[in-house]
Amino acid sequence: MVNKLLFAAALLAAGHTLAAETAPRASVVEGDPQVIGTAPLAPEADGFLDPLRELKFNPGLDQREFERSTLEALNVYDPLESVNRRVYHFNYRLDQWVLLPLVNGYQYITPRFVRSGVTNFFNNLGDVPNLFNSVLQLKAKRSAEITARLMFNTIIGVGGLWDPATRMGLPRQSEDFGQTLGFYGVPEGPYLVLPLLGPSNLRDTTGLVVDYAGEQAVNYLDVADTSKKHPEIFALRVVDKRYTTNFRYGQLNSPFEYEKVRYVYTQSRKLQIAD
Amino acid sequence: MAVAASARDIDAASYGYPLTNPFEATIATTPPDQRPMLPSDDEIDQSDYSLTLRPEREFTLPDNFWAVKKLKYRLARQDHAAPLIFIIAGTGASYSSSINEYLKKLFYQAGFHVVQLSSPTSFDFISAASRFATPGISQDDAQDMYRVMQAVRAQHARLPVTDFYLTGYSLGALDAAFVSHLDETRRSFNFKRVLLLNPPVNLYTSINNLDKLVQTQVKGIDRSTTFYELMLEKLTRYFQEKGYIDLNEALLYDFQQSRQHLSNEQMAMLIGTSFRFSAADIAFTSDLINRRGLIIPPKQPITEGTSLTPYFKRALQCDFDCYMTEQVIPMWRARTGGGTILELTNQVSLYALKDYLQNSKKIAVMHNADDVILGPGDIGFLRKVFGDRLTLYPHGGHCGNLNYRVNSDAMLEFFRG
Repeated sequence: MVNKLLFAAALLAAGHTLAAETAPRASVVEGDPQVIGTAPLAPEADGFLDPLRELKFNPGLDQREFERSTLEALNVYDPLESVNRRVYHFNYRLDQWVLLPLVNGYQYITPRFVRSGVTNFFNNLGDVPNLFNSVLQLKAKRSAEITARLMFNTIIGVGGLWDPATRMGLPRQSEDFGQTLGFYGVPEGPYLVLPLLGPSNLRDTTGLVVDYAGEQAVNYLDVADTSKKHPEIFALRVVDKRYTTNFRYGQLNSPFEYEKVRYVYTQSRKLQIAD
Repeated sequence: MAVAASARDIDAASYGYPLTNPFEATIATTPPDQRPMLPSDDEIDQSDYSLTLRPEREFTLPDNFWAVKKLKYRLARQDHAAPLIFIIAGTGASYSSSINEYLKKLFYQAGFHVVQLSSPTSFDFISAASRFATPGISQDDAQDMYRVMQAVRAQHARLPVTDFYLTGYSLGALDAAFVSHLDETRRSFNFKRVLLLNPPVNLYTSINNLDKLVQTQVKGIDRSTTFYELMLEKLTRYFQEKGYIDLNEALLYDFQQSRQHLSNEQMAMLIGTSFRFSAADIAFTSDLINRRGLIIPPKQPITEGTSLTPYFKRALQCDFDCYMTEQVIPMWRARTGGGTILELTNQVSLYALKDYLQNSKKIAVMHNADDVILGPGDIGFLRKVFGDRLTLYPHGGHCGNLNYRVNSDAMLEFFRG
């Protein structure tokens, strides 16, 4: 079924191109694609189906849209850039020499179901701030869903070790206080790279502090209090966080990784706030 | 036509690849349910290793390049004697690129030791392994790559290897062809079989096509909205319509079915953008190491706190053509005593290996009829040179069908051969 839909989507897109190609320039208007029953473009004698043939190009081939977009994207308010970059390199080294070896050891000594149990457990704890912030943003439906998640996962999922809610069609939805601030129009403030935690900005760092304080105050499942006596719980949480975070320093393999991470962080936060 | 008929042409109906749009295929690749079953990372005995190949760079490269003073690669090992396959990544990509990861899993599952290598055009390779640090001359890149492969072998001298195999995708496939040719005289590996996946045929055509992709007319861009903003707006609206953010593998297909789906021009621009970033990285790194002063002043002090943004701004103005014209060609002329661009193109493209490829039965190529890096006549060249060792798929765009089950079966069959 999915394949058929995909096929239809591909056809739809192809039909759109053909329509654009055959119609006179002036009559091409913005709008929804139409399926047009035109025969596909004939291949060349050797079988080549030039994909560029289907495209509409800027007549002079001299537009500078890539440059314009990218230059504008580099405008992120980053007055502490020099310090941020040093912290970035510090985190990079910490990651290579401490965190990733820890994660490797963790993966070596634990079976996968244990690791997913740990992840689920901390995710379940995280649903408490998710709920608070969703309520603060007056998102009724989402708040109800997160409440249901908390109940199902804590009770049926044995304290959150298992995540039955996701299977029941209630996926995890992250809301933090940084997003709540953003929701009410608080600007990002300067970009920050936090030691250990990585990319952030003034608004989101404030959010982190508030969420942390909230977690301590709520003391859900007594984890916050127990962690004070048993720092190994906190350590496990750090390892789990690193284990579940896909990002690897150097994975963009670019001398401009700092800029790219900064842009992606800023934009993904905007996306999260908008939804 | 008698020769042309002998290539293996896969017809669209029996092939069944779901994405007939070359741009969609290039961006989204195969839908998850039509990919082969592969082992997870947990089930693979693998580690990253590093090689010191250019010790002088320890001193000549600035401090904030500390991470690329050594060349990293990834080795997945079987617990018994087995054949070893080298995989070379495509333009600008590192050893851990997603296609490299995919190919590793595929071949590891089939019983190979697998070595994943960065492209000679990647940031880490240029910095840590490239003698001239100006990638683009295929012979030179192959020599650098060959040294890397020899060093890898030396670092694991006790790994029981029965035979050596070689593959690469995109530009990595062109590199693989030149490496294989080099191996015929140096004989360190005696590759048993070599598979080229979506190689450029004429390097100049390929870079021109890729440069041209950012020249498409994209609807919705105006004074106040840049291309990225347009993309992000679409994504925002898509998530809002959906009700929540769920980043998974099905996202791209779902997105293309939504009202926010991208047009061909927009997808082309997106692909072109990604290649422009590679071009910027290459131009900057090459300029920095060779102290050419085109992008960064040769004596500019750089520490870990130095902002590279001003140089990024300059580097991103440079596309592949600019990099070739400003850096590769002058260096090549200085070293070889001059020559025309046509001569250079012939030297660095598959044309240079025509006789070798024609007579070397161990080398095969898999390509797509709608690959964006090809130009008119390129497939004809492949047909003539490879004969029945060319498998031509009707769809797949650029490398989009590598993870389609039909393709993965064909790859494994070729290496089992």
